[in-house]
Amino acid sequence: MIIGNFRIELEPRLTSPKWLYAAVPAGSLVFAFIVGGVFLALTGHSPIGTYSSLISHGYTSTKGITNTLGLATPLICTGLAAAFAFRMNLFNIGEEGQMYLGMIGSAWAGIALAGHLPHVLAVPTVLIVGAAAGALWVLLPAVLRAKLGTSEIVSTLLLNYVALNLVNYFIFGSRGFFRDPTTSFPQGRGVEETARFHSFGTSNTYPTVIIAVLLAVALYWFMKRSNFGYETSVFADSPNTARYAGMNSTKLTLSVLLFSGALAGLAGAMYVVGPAGKVDPGLLQIGLGYAGIVVAALARYNFFAVVLTAILFAGLRVGGASLQISSNPVPIAIAVVLQGSVLLFALGGEIFRRNRLRIRRVQQVSVAS
Amino acid sequence: MGSHRLGGATLFALSARQVTKRFPGVLANDRVDFDLLPGEVHTLLGENGAGKSTLASVLCGLYKPDEGAVLRNGTQVRLTSPRHGLQNGIAMVHQHFRLVDRFTVAENVVLGHRNLPFRLRANDLEDQVAQVAERFGLPLDPRATVGELSAGQRQRVEIVKALYQGAEILLLDEPTALLAPPEVEKLFETVRAMTQAGKSVVFVSHKLGEVVDISDRVTVMRDGRVTGSVARGEADTRKLAELMVGRDIDLSPRRSRAAAQETLLQLDKVGLTKDGIERIANVSLSVRAGEIVGIAGVSGNGQRELAEIVAGLQAPTSGEILINSVRVNGMGTRHVRKAGLAYVPEDRLGTGLAPSLSIVDNLVLTRDRGFLVDRKSALAEAEAFIKQLEIKTPHAHTATRKLSGGNSQKVLLAREIFAAGDHSRVLVVCSPTRGLDVGAVEAVHKLLDEARSAGKAVLLISEDLDEVLTLADKVLVLYRGSVVHEVAGTEVDVEAVGLAMAGLS
Repeated sequence: MIIGNFRIELEPRLTSPKWLYAAVPAGSLVFAFIVGGVFLALTGHSPIGTYSSLISHGYTSTKGITNTLGLATPLICTGLAAAFAFRMNLFNIGEEGQMYLGMIGSAWAGIALAGHLPHVLAVPTVLIVGAAAGALWVLLPAVLRAKLGTSEIVSTLLLNYVALNLVNYFIFGSRGFFRDPTTSFPQGRGVEETARFHSFGTSNTYPTVIIAVLLAVALYWFMKRSNFGYETSVFADSPNTARYAGMNSTKLTLSVLLFSGALAGLAGAMYVVGPAGKVDPGLLQIGLGYAGIVVAALARYNFFAVVLTAILFAGLRVGGASLQISSNPVPIAIAVVLQGSVLLFALGGEIFRRNRLRIRRVQQVSVAS
Repeated sequence: MGSHRLGGATLFALSARQVTKRFPGVLANDRVDFDLLPGEVHTLLGENGAGKSTLASVLCGLYKPDEGAVLRNGTQVRLTSPRHGLQNGIAMVHQHFRLVDRFTVAENVVLGHRNLPFRLRANDLEDQVAQVAERFGLPLDPRATVGELSAGQRQRVEIVKALYQGAEILLLDEPTALLAPPEVEKLFETVRAMTQAGKSVVFVSHKLGEVVDISDRVTVMRDGRVTGSVARGEADTRKLAELMVGRDIDLSPRRSRAAAQETLLQLDKVGLTKDGIERIANVSLSVRAGEIVGIAGVSGNGQRELAEIVAGLQAPTSGEILINSVRVNGMGTRHVRKAGLAYVPEDRLGTGLAPSLSIVDNLVLTRDRGFLVDRKSALAEAEAFIKQLEIKTPHAHTATRKLSGGNSQKVLLAREIFAAGDHSRVLVVCSPTRGLDVGAVEAVHKLLDEARSAGKAVLLISEDLDEVLTLADKVLVLYRGSVVHEVAGTEVDVEAVGLAMAGLS
């Protein structure tokens, strides 16, 4: 491209220096805020004022950060679920539905089992049953993918809608097991008190956030050091090499997808043992499953980066929501614009990691002497 | 020689003057001069990455040179595209053919021709194509579907296409890579017919042997520069190799020095029928410790299937395979490996190695791994290999795809021959030097020779006949899935082997 006297070229990099991996996302964040600022100014809000309010409500105030961490907890899990499947080039788009099933499964365990269990086992059981329910929800797509090569993208996505209607049916469509029998108002039946965590103080952060972060660390270590992690990396890189080395691709595909489903199910279970305490249709409104895919993509499928990105995203949500109740209310759409711009710039920014931007002065074309 | 001299001054059909072409991180052509006389066969010889294909691409208009000029009949031309090159009578036949499989020969030939009549008459076109083909001694049926043709026939379609479009200068990029010896001979006849008609041919090649036969002149390139230009008669392979590599190269035959020992690999009437087609028919052979048995043949005659059957990737539909006297039919790669087989597949990067994984991780591939992968000993092993085999790499954690072909092949061979704790005594190797530089070929041959001296039984399956003849103690020819010729390595009649490869014995 030539602008004026300058020629702007992209030149492929042979190697990308390490700092670029951090600089590109950081830079895209700045650009996203600039774009958001333009929208804010156009709608008659002060960008600086709005952003400082957003940052305070989302991250820097005590109430803000605890709300953010609370929202980030299940988001870390769905983000890990997406990142984990992608390690083997599998696209699990069904975190949303698997999370709902995790909520249903854990609520069932919280109602039916927790009363019969010793206190210390109640919460772990609820979490594990929730994870298992999430895994179960991806079983069919996983088997179809492993045995017949059916695209897991389509099958996991479609099952999201089934799961969505399942939750709606349990709460709004029937008077079954999951519905609160004590009131005619449609809401979920509460789990046993022993099946719930207490939040830290009066905040909205629950101990599950520690589990989520530890999970990210454990996954990182496991995938780096274990034979399972090694085999998935070989398979993801070159299925023919895996076949050459005698690896069992059916088994690998199945276990990766099932584990990814379990992580997404865990997100739903953490919602139950934490803030909800029941099957809560409120979860259907937040879209944490889909957001998890975005988080994983932004984090470049790195488990540690998933944690940071999830917190960043949750903060944008929390801060964005609180802007609506200021004296000059900012529409929630601005927060969505910001999220969208972050994603757009981060993915677009890849081009600057892979290529070097060169700006050269063009010699004015002169007659060769 | 068909050089045209006009009043003492030579008018070159095509020249490059001080052509420089850069790619990110690479200086592909560094002030290259090249001249082509009318009616001349001029070979551009060099290793992979020497810059010969880049130069050819500049000459045909595919690349624009960063500096320097291209001259056609003594006047400078600024070629902007291959089509523009063609308007100047310059055409290139690429190594990988650019034909539409479902079209007929005639349709492919006229494809992209600008001045076609609005209504195409198939008969007229076919007659025209047949005429062009006949004039240059290219036997070709214009009505045949291209998808059903052999590699040699497809190449003829490409050549006819270039001639039909009025090419005076033909650039052939690695034209013999896919051909059987008789087809190569036929190609050479065509090339001679073209030069007799006053056309010039640029032959881009890294194969020393054939170059000497066909060329009027050879220009050798190394690292983007021209290292020498030699006329017919002055060129011998040893000198050319030295110009190519920059040092003396030994590609003389290597044979077993010890007496033959016990049989380690045995195939007994092995057959494979897939989708109703017989891919491998009744193949019996045995390989003893300390010998190399070579299987020659043109690509696609069952080599791949045979290798995969022995390696346990496919199960044979009939017959027996014995490794160390243990029957291993269809037992899967892990078991076959346990039985004592190491396998170097044809596709180094993508089957034998995981391209994005490091050298260390690729050494781990065939090991017994517990729950946790032990990379410490693999790292030590990788570093030892890098030192011993002179593998050029920044460090042991470099991804194998970043290595050159020769270096990644060294990694693969090292793992399959020398890996610690590996007790395999049978080695199956497929086209181990395909696409490698002369220097790397020498290194790979030395490694295979070492494996033989170490008492391994080596089955070498290669489409490169020279390679088989250089290394094998026993030569078998595979044609349409059957062994059609068998001879001791020291008693080979090259012509008979060539005929067998073409199915004419």
